[in-house]
Amino acid sequence: MLSGCGNLALVHRMITEGSISEVLVSAQSRKDIVAWIGSHVLPHEAAVRSWLRRWTGRVQDIDDVVQEAYSRLAALDSVSHIASGRAYLFQTTRNIVLEQVRRSKIVRIDNVTDLGSLNIVDQAPPVERVVGGARELAQVEQLIERLPAACKRVFVLRRIHGESQREIARMFGISESAVEKQAVRGLKLILKAMEGDNLAKESEEDVNEHERDRTRNR
Amino acid sequence: MSMKETAHEIAEEAATWATKIDAGSVDPDTHPGLKAWLAANPRHRGALLRAEGALSFIDRARALAGVIPKPEPRPIWIRRKLQFAGAALAASIACAIVMLPAPQHYDTEIGEIRQVPLSDGSLVAINTQSNIQVGMREKTREVTLTKGEAWFKVAHDKSRPFIVSAGRIRVRAVGTAFSVRRHDDGADVQVTEGTVETWTAGEEDRKVQVAAGTKAYVAENQPPKPITAPADIERSLAWRDGQIVLEGETLDQAVSQFNRYNTKQLVITDQSLAKEKLVGQFRATEPGNFADAVATTLGANIKETGDTIQLSRAKAH
Repeated sequence: MLSGCGNLALVHRMITEGSISEVLVSAQSRKDIVAWIGSHVLPHEAAVRSWLRRWTGRVQDIDDVVQEAYSRLAALDSVSHIASGRAYLFQTTRNIVLEQVRRSKIVRIDNVTDLGSLNIVDQAPPVERVVGGARELAQVEQLIERLPAACKRVFVLRRIHGESQREIARMFGISESAVEKQAVRGLKLILKAMEGDNLAKESEEDVNEHERDRTRNR
Repeated sequence: MSMKETAHEIAEEAATWATKIDAGSVDPDTHPGLKAWLAANPRHRGALLRAEGALSFIDRARALAGVIPKPEPRPIWIRRKLQFAGAALAASIACAIVMLPAPQHYDTEIGEIRQVPLSDGSLVAINTQSNIQVGMREKTREVTLTKGEAWFKVAHDKSRPFIVSAGRIRVRAVGTAFSVRRHDDGADVQVTEGTVETWTAGEEDRKVQVAAGTKAYVAENQPPKPITAPADIERSLAWRDGQIVLEGETLDQAVSQFNRYNTKQLVITDQSLAKEKLVGQFRATEPGNFADAVATTLGANIKETGDTIQLSRAKAH
């Protein structure tokens, strides 16, 4: 069951332990890693969560598992060796779940066999499904559209139009801290939404697609 | 006594740090508070990475700048119903709204404070949980305060008096700044600039003038008695900056002020605390900070439940 994931897991382990990171790759700037998380990992989080829900079914545990996955990503000095952010996130998440299963804390034991189905993400899909530009824009629109009015105004000005907090404060005649408060609120809501069901639905279809592909290949 | 943080709490805290880093108010490499937070739990670093990643994800959509119109300080553009249906549609809706003579509605949620420039050049600050309708007509400017409190800085226009209705109470101004807070049986009127005239509908012969630095409670059944208290007025209007300023108010008065802004309600479980007097300045939306300050200064105990923060007298040691 685990054989398929050997390579990635090994590389991951070595890197997180720090043994080969210096040799393999030079450290990337923090900014690049953040950008990579934003473009290659976060858009797939909803799919990972929906997959986890199917196999474990416990929402709180899922939050913990996903957060743990990000903390492992945060321990990387570089991500340039990772071909597919999506596959890597699935992989890391699965490792975490398996570790927990072995400690038999979180996942019911009868789910262990189901985890075999994770083979679908053992390898990156043949062609990484780059979230197409138009679709990505539509996602962002949707996320912003759902924000409460005050929050949305601040968020659109800050993020889409690149205005500074100070400028926004001036425009609306409110304090900078009031602007910041709305910006924080917006980000919290967006983070929450990115866990969400609507996004997951599309990504889930992707998973099923890969599943079908693999079945055909056998 | 600190319990293990939940993933959700960590995510929320991370959103705050990410926003501050983004705004440039926190340097991610040197800020001591951030460093301490990151060191406290390895999960924090991951959560921060995720929150910053989300901002970066959204920023990839800068290309939308041509599609999502830039909100102007005129919130007419941003009514909730306005969809991102493309620039043309958005623009046409916005125009339609601007030209419609129908009254504009503005409301605020709990803890929300909103500043709205009106088309005549006046400015309205709307306090928490309030609702106003604005109707700009040829001969008058009419605002109905259906709920809550608002402060008006009225643009001077002699030909069009600016009239605020709160139930049967009326307040009329020409070029003035004043606030109206609606209550069940009347309204508080506080004037910061100029003079207003106030009365109860149906009793137009009994109008009362209220001048700058003066406030009056206008009730349906009794003539208002203006009281001069400029400092009090400034203080009670601190909400415009999201602040609550206490200058000797009792704890129960302070608590009822905070409870206007927050779903998390402060509750005094020990009545011997209620009449303690307090001085200080707090953010209206941070009842927890206020409770901490009360605990420290008055020696109170704090007990947090789902949606309350209970304050009681600390037992003698």
